[in-house]
Amino acid sequence: MKIDLKTLTIQKAHEALQKGDFTSVQLTQAYLDEIKAKNKDVNAYLEVFADAIEQANEADKRITESKKVKSSNTDKGTDFPLLCGIPSGIKDNILIQGRIASAASKLLENYHATYDATVIAKLKAESAVFLGRLNMDEFAMGGSTENSAYGVTKNPYDLSRVAGGSSGGSAAAVAMQGALFTLGSDTGGSIRQPASFCGVVGLKPTYGAVSRYGVMAMGSSLDQIGPIANTVTDCEIIFKAIKGKDIKDGTTIDESTYDTNSRIHANAMKNTNKKMVIGVPRDFLKGDGIDSAVLKSFNEALETFKAKGYEVCDISLPNISYSLMVYYVLMPAEVSSNMARFDGVKYGLHKDGATVIEDYFESRKAGLGKEVIRRILLGTYVLSSGYYDAYYNRANAVRQMITDDFLKAFESVDIIATPTAPSTAFKIGEKTNDPVAMYLEDIFTVTANLTGLPAISIPCGYKEEMKGKLPIGLQLTARHGDEQALFIAGKDFLGEV
Amino acid sequence: MNEYSHPVTLLCMITLQELDSLATLARIKLTDADKSSLIKEFDSILSYVDQLKKVDVSLDTDGRVGAVRNVTRSDEVVKISASDREGLLNEAPDREGDFIAVKKMIEQ
Repeated sequence: MKIDLKTLTIQKAHEALQKGDFTSVQLTQAYLDEIKAKNKDVNAYLEVFADAIEQANEADKRITESKKVKSSNTDKGTDFPLLCGIPSGIKDNILIQGRIASAASKLLENYHATYDATVIAKLKAESAVFLGRLNMDEFAMGGSTENSAYGVTKNPYDLSRVAGGSSGGSAAAVAMQGALFTLGSDTGGSIRQPASFCGVVGLKPTYGAVSRYGVMAMGSSLDQIGPIANTVTDCEIIFKAIKGKDIKDGTTIDESTYDTNSRIHANAMKNTNKKMVIGVPRDFLKGDGIDSAVLKSFNEALETFKAKGYEVCDISLPNISYSLMVYYVLMPAEVSSNMARFDGVKYGLHKDGATVIEDYFESRKAGLGKEVIRRILLGTYVLSSGYYDAYYNRANAVRQMITDDFLKAFESVDIIATPTAPSTAFKIGEKTNDPVAMYLEDIFTVTANLTGLPAISIPCGYKEEMKGKLPIGLQLTARHGDEQALFIAGKDFLGEV
Repeated sequence: MNEYSHPVTLLCMITLQELDSLATLARIKLTDADKSSLIKEFDSILSYVDQLKKVDVSLDTDGRVGAVRNVTRSDEVVKISASDREGLLNEAPDREGDFIAVKKMIEQ
């Protein structure tokens, strides 16, 4: 049978596996066929795992086994997990034991992970199938996947354009029906911006909601792992599967970390059928750097929410215009610290110099790309004596001011809406020579990382171009720990029941 | 000026010596071509983030993100299996027995 991958969701696939409409092997093969047909153009996958079918076979065994138990039980019986046999793709900075994890860098070209990331262990426990590892900007630094050492990922909507980044492979893979879901990482928008460019859904959870054990650190006070999928419901399923406190990541939170105001609110809403209030930082959307088609689509999305009973109001976030500047001080500072571990001694690329010290210089020069080097040096600069107070300390203080602005806004609204990115997918090469122009791509997304708030990008429309249409994304941000508000509003908006 | 544009600066904000010193601290070898493009890029990035100097910062920060606090692990030796150790050692570019091999560092 031909499986319709375009309209497939995790729930539908799960039911089909349950009913025996198809097996995980057949489903996995369907995705492998798509990858074979499209990946040479799109370059979403850096590697397709040779044992994908074997993994699917194991999942099928588990499904068969659970059916046996179920039929022999008069009760409801045990069921197989929702993600059992579901084909996925994994960003190349997340470790799967025994497999290469290169972070799309020459430095880790031959590095084999020696253990599973916590998110991988959780997916393995559900018997999810890993199809392969996905392209990205080197060490997740970039907004277009052009910084990959293994070639750019192209946008499935228009191959002359970028898929966004840094999780460009993760978004493009879902958009080209090359996986039912993927995992990405988000430090300043790296899940949401590519999701927006590729017309799919991407979630950056609350800081600490998902363990980062086994994920290559970039900006440790900013990084989160999250899902990319076709629907909000699918993202919710994956989020619930991967979240949770982890002793191996001291920054992970549990259910009690944040006050339950938002959850109480959500419950009250369910009972009274009262819809949430959406705040719009209108002053922040007045710049001329924002594409008029994006703004139009955004305003139409707000009208859709109003028509569905949501209240939409303007809010003020007085310091939000400093977000990107704060981000481009703090992020490189953290990058320069995290990247210090790559020395060509313990693992990764090694190039010989005359002395031990020169080995470091040679190995790092040979292994690291331009953008990574730029950020390491920038971070070293803002942390160096004489500049530390002017940049790093000041940025930290402004970060707290921005966070306070958001928390104050959330006293009167449940969700804050902006476009995900100021433009649609741009042409390959268009911004490679102007780092600041590239950085401006993150203008709407960095706030969620600076504040630790959860945010989701959902498709809200298209921009008509000569060569077809390009997706536009809507970003919703909620209170700490209130991913549920994003799921409720996102499903409402997309008409998912 | 609005938040989406970035000003062109005529000031050279970072010197070649400063860049050399940063590269040494970060253990990165730079060619002359690298340096000349980095100086230009630094100027453009720093003039952008320099707008932070306009903010009236009266607030003390303790570096917190939301309600999250760092948690330290217990100060105990964690034993790993022989096969895990072998896996880790195998990733080293050069090894001798159970050691990672590096060039001689200390003169006799």
